[in-house]
Amino acid sequence: MIGGIVVIAAIIILVFVYYYNRIRILSNRIEEAWAQIDVQLKKRYDLVPNLVETVKGYAAHERGIFEKIAEARAGMISGSREGRMEASNALTGALRSLFAVAEAYPVLRAAENFKLLQEQLEGIENKIAYARQFYNSSVLAFNNLITTIPGAWFAGGRQKNAFLEVPEAEREPVRVAF
Amino acid sequence: MGRLDIRDEMARNRRASFLLIVVVAAVVVGLAYTLALLFAPEYLIFVLPFSLIFIAIYTYSSYMYGDQVVLSATGAVPAEGREYVYLRDTVEGLSIAAGIPAPKPYVIRSDEMNAFATGRGPEHASVAVTTGLIQGLDRQELEGVVGHEISHVRNRDIQFMTLVAVLVGLAAILSHVILRTFRYGGMMRGRGDRRERRGGGIEVVILVVGFILAIFAPILTRLVQFAVSRRREFLADASGAELTRYPEGLASALEKITGHNRGKMDVSEAVSHLFFVDPNRSALDSLYATHPPMEERIRRLREM
Repeated sequence: MIGGIVVIAAIIILVFVYYYNRIRILSNRIEEAWAQIDVQLKKRYDLVPNLVETVKGYAAHERGIFEKIAEARAGMISGSREGRMEASNALTGALRSLFAVAEAYPVLRAAENFKLLQEQLEGIENKIAYARQFYNSSVLAFNNLITTIPGAWFAGGRQKNAFLEVPEAEREPVRVAF
Repeated sequence: MGRLDIRDEMARNRRASFLLIVVVAAVVVGLAYTLALLFAPEYLIFVLPFSLIFIAIYTYSSYMYGDQVVLSATGAVPAEGREYVYLRDTVEGLSIAAGIPAPKPYVIRSDEMNAFATGRGPEHASVAVTTGLIQGLDRQELEGVVGHEISHVRNRDIQFMTLVAVLVGLAAILSHVILRTFRYGGMMRGRGDRRERRGGGIEVVILVVGFILAIFAPILTRLVQFAVSRRREFLADASGAELTRYPEGLASALEKITGHNRGKMDVSEAVSHLFFVDPNRSALDSLYATHPPMEERIRRLREM
């Protein structure tokens, strides 16, 4: 009788420990995933001034674009995850129009420095997309665990995390009007 | 495809690695006994401890340095320089998507289109692709292939597959030595055997078993290698496509590679199962192939 109680208690403790750790691990994975995004955002943040300077050398009068970029870049310094992602998406849009403008300057397009920066930026943008994918799948795993039984019993009031959505504008091809 | 599949796969890989080490250890001990019986029956007592120590050291160094052996055996060099920017970015990007540290990118100078991953775990991994692959595929296709290799890294296939490469090589060498010895010994006996034989039945049995082992050891280990690597390839295709979110890229890469490769890449049989597609295609394809048929892989990807 006492043996049975001990066994049941041990099982309950083990199950509790398992789910407690599982929830912690998945929630840490979300933090890690965000850190990955952050690293790439920081790299892009540092790269943008170089790019802008290079373009200015050939197309100094395209002020509107430079201002848009500077504004979007400034918005990325602080704020919530959603806020920073929003600023980052704005920056992506602004950079796209920068490259669209660059199309009109053959000398700029041919410049070695510009090509290199463009390549690096492309690499970073891809990595941001992949990091966001990892973030979202980590969030999905976490949300699934804490909203389904038995994980939900151990969630202790933890809230579902939000996905990082891809902005509508990014799904559409860039339209350039001259 | 959930995370559970991958965790199952990791556990399966650990079991498989363990089993492989046990089997290879048994084969090596058996072969060592046979050699001792043939040449120095008075040292039989030392065979077990010595061969176990040998196996332990060999397995440990295969585990630690197997990737270096494989990389140099295939002539892979680090992917440095501007022409490999996209490769480096893709490897890094997809490993971010897979949630693992980025493996070191390598290239192999070859016109054949192929790729492989090796290492003892996600923290110590390398991905190598041929220059032919970089030139012949477009970006989405290259991404598909790299995604497949990154999945091998994440699923911890590489640890087992690298062990197989090095341990299968060992079994092959030992059985080769024994077979040569039998031939040599047979000749000696033909010219009058000086050695006094203790005609015990057990020795004869051990000799026969040793002989059979020597012949079948490489075949057996190879068959194990085939059976496991087919399932792994399908799983890596599926989880690679999950990483890139674009199965068609991998499918069309497979199609291009089938049309392009002449099937002669000049790499050792011991490492062929590591590759993205079989580097040495032979007439005995379907029975001996380390990889599932291409049509089957393409069909499964297109059905996703």
